[in-house]
Amino acid sequence: MGPRRDPVDDRTKLYACERIPNEHGGEGKFTSRIESVRSGDGSPGRDCTDSEDDRKRLGGDGVLAEVLTVFINGLQQGAIYVLVAIGLSIILGTLKFVNFAHGALYLVGTYVGLLVTLEIQLTDGKLAEWGFTSIGLGWGFLAALVIVPIVVFAVGLLMERFVARPFYDRPDTDQILLTFGLAIVVQEVFKILFGGQSYNFARPGWASGPVDLPIIGAFPEWRLYVIGITAVLVAGVYALVEFTDFGLVVRAGTRDAEMVELLGIKLSRPYLMVFGVGAALAGVAGVVGGPLYAVNPNIGTEILVPAFLVVVIGGVGSITGAVLGGILLGETLAILVAVAPQWSQVGIYVLAAVVLLARPQGLLGSEEVTP
Amino acid sequence: MSDEPTETADATEEGGAVVERERTEREFPSWERVRESELFVIAITTVALAVFPWLFARAPVISGVLQGYQDLATLIVIWGIFAMGFNLLLGYTGLLSFGHAAFWGGAAYAAGVFSTHVSSSPLLIILAGTAFAALLAWALGFVALRRGGIYFAILTLAFGQMAYYMALSPLSGITGGENGYTGVELAPLLGSFFLQYPVPGLDWLVGTWTYVLVGVVAVVCVAAANRILHSPYGMVFRAIRENDQRAEFVGLNVWRYKLMAFVISGTLAGVAGSLFTIYSAYVPVQSLYWTTSGEVVIMAVLGGVGSLFGPILGAGIYLYVENVISGVQQLTLPFTGPGEYVTLVQEPVVLLEGFGAYWHLILGLVFVAVIVLFPRGIWGLFEDAAGAVRRLGSDH
Repeated sequence: MGPRRDPVDDRTKLYACERIPNEHGGEGKFTSRIESVRSGDGSPGRDCTDSEDDRKRLGGDGVLAEVLTVFINGLQQGAIYVLVAIGLSIILGTLKFVNFAHGALYLVGTYVGLLVTLEIQLTDGKLAEWGFTSIGLGWGFLAALVIVPIVVFAVGLLMERFVARPFYDRPDTDQILLTFGLAIVVQEVFKILFGGQSYNFARPGWASGPVDLPIIGAFPEWRLYVIGITAVLVAGVYALVEFTDFGLVVRAGTRDAEMVELLGIKLSRPYLMVFGVGAALAGVAGVVGGPLYAVNPNIGTEILVPAFLVVVIGGVGSITGAVLGGILLGETLAILVAVAPQWSQVGIYVLAAVVLLARPQGLLGSEEVTP
Repeated sequence: MSDEPTETADATEEGGAVVERERTEREFPSWERVRESELFVIAITTVALAVFPWLFARAPVISGVLQGYQDLATLIVIWGIFAMGFNLLLGYTGLLSFGHAAFWGGAAYAAGVFSTHVSSSPLLIILAGTAFAALLAWALGFVALRRGGIYFAILTLAFGQMAYYMALSPLSGITGGENGYTGVELAPLLGSFFLQYPVPGLDWLVGTWTYVLVGVVAVVCVAAANRILHSPYGMVFRAIRENDQRAEFVGLNVWRYKLMAFVISGTLAGVAGSLFTIYSAYVPVQSLYWTTSGEVVIMAVLGGVGSLFGPILGAGIYLYVENVISGVQQLTLPFTGPGEYVTLVQEPVVLLEGFGAYWHLILGLVFVAVIVLFPRGIWGLFEDAAGAVRRLGSDH
């Protein structure tokens, strides 16, 4: 295990963009927060007075280092969005099903990942009351990276069969309402079982420290892993959809489901798979995002809104669109956090509004696929 | 538009025969006609709102069982206005908005800021908050309605969140940021009635002047919504809900009607939000968060979309569960309710300890059940039951 991190500071880092303006007054302190995020060890209580020293100590100086740091932070932020948004986008594009419970899959992924990776002490919630004060397998992060997608994939299959399928023929609003209700139920179940407080999802020991990058200097290693894992998974899903027979059927079904079925190809199984794969990606997002963000029952609904924005910006049903939208959103967020932190959260919505006014079908969406 | 099937459906189903018979006798206007008339709706609403706080908080036996209290009664009416306004959009135009918190919270903030800097007269505060919400609804609707269907839900959700983050940091100098807006100032109503004081002579019935103000505004809102929905204008809303393509082909400018429905709905949400500022003398920043939009969605669907009063009932149920049932310690059989008022001969069987903590989960499950099983909500169930009783009666 790496150095113990203060969970509170970790949370502020995670939500740096949201919280900073409330916790700090002046511009100088904003930059100091960015510095401490950049240094990667999350040491708390850094004051703006020693930010210059930090810069020297970390080696990376100058505008270029600053810009690159912001860029990689944006990529990492975007990576999480991409993982969640791809599932949302392909499910919406192929199955024409609006899944407001997609964030719940992220939530399940995070908690299952936490329990597989570590042993945690429960202090609140029903599980603790029932005597499970110390639970978790403690098998480490790599195990979680294998187990969580399988578990959430299965959850996704069940969801398609028992939640989505009976509602394919109902109006959009009913689908939204149903999945919204489901999201609340899942969130409440986790709140009751684990309590409402945040857990600290420690980064794996082999990736907890900073790594020395050229030009930039020290950078949190885990963020690079998040980008790498996302890139590999996205490439895999892209290949699955673009270059396999399965992908061909799915893409054909996206264009004209009726015609595909008339040709004698049964779509219900590919649809099931699409739902499962989308769910598994959200689960992985929960695992890789867990160590970056606080783990509490609200994270599912919190990730849902930006993920929907990514889908809207990128265009429904398009994997490349989701990647582009996710990176755009992540970069916008990172740049604004560095330049004008109080506007960072508002900025992503402005971006979405601008894209929508200019290109209503999304950057890479096609008119015919949109539901 | 006059032959729109939804409008005539329940008249022919429930009372066609009755109307015919009464018309031949020419003694009284038929009950069906009275029931549909505007004055009747207003009168019933007035009586119900006047009696509600007494029944809920002070009546013998009933209030003892319910464990209601005056402030909750006021809050229920305020949220009732909000849910009713929201339902003009969902139930009558078929558009699902997840951004109504922006109008509720936006109006609440506008009302609060207005009370500090311009005038603290309650009526002017309501006007200011409502006007702000109407303008905001017009602007947001203009962008959000560019895409129909699911996009509308996602976009309203996104812009609602944008309003939340605006209030949280860039505008925190005005809104108070995370702490909410605390500087609300309230002058006496019409210069002479202090809002938190009981109404002389009628305090056993309606309680405080705050409730009187909220109740009167609620009656006005119900009357306005009822008038709109029964006008040709409201008929167009329903036509759009049933089939917006067909409405377009008839020659209606569907987009403009949708925008107007959105603005009217946002305006009513604004009325409710302004009243909330007056009620609590404080605006929490959570009033803009999207969970607030989610709550009003749950209220409307739970109570029953597609009827004027269903969402108000839904608001009552939601807030009652949130504020009273959540305090219940044990789920027992037979259920003794929140109070110790009901004493039973036998000791009840305890089914579940710490029952109150599950209130949100229970609401979520009931919400899902309503969507799957009773899309017309609890009000729809009542209507079905009433219809069944009437049919039983007419058989004999």
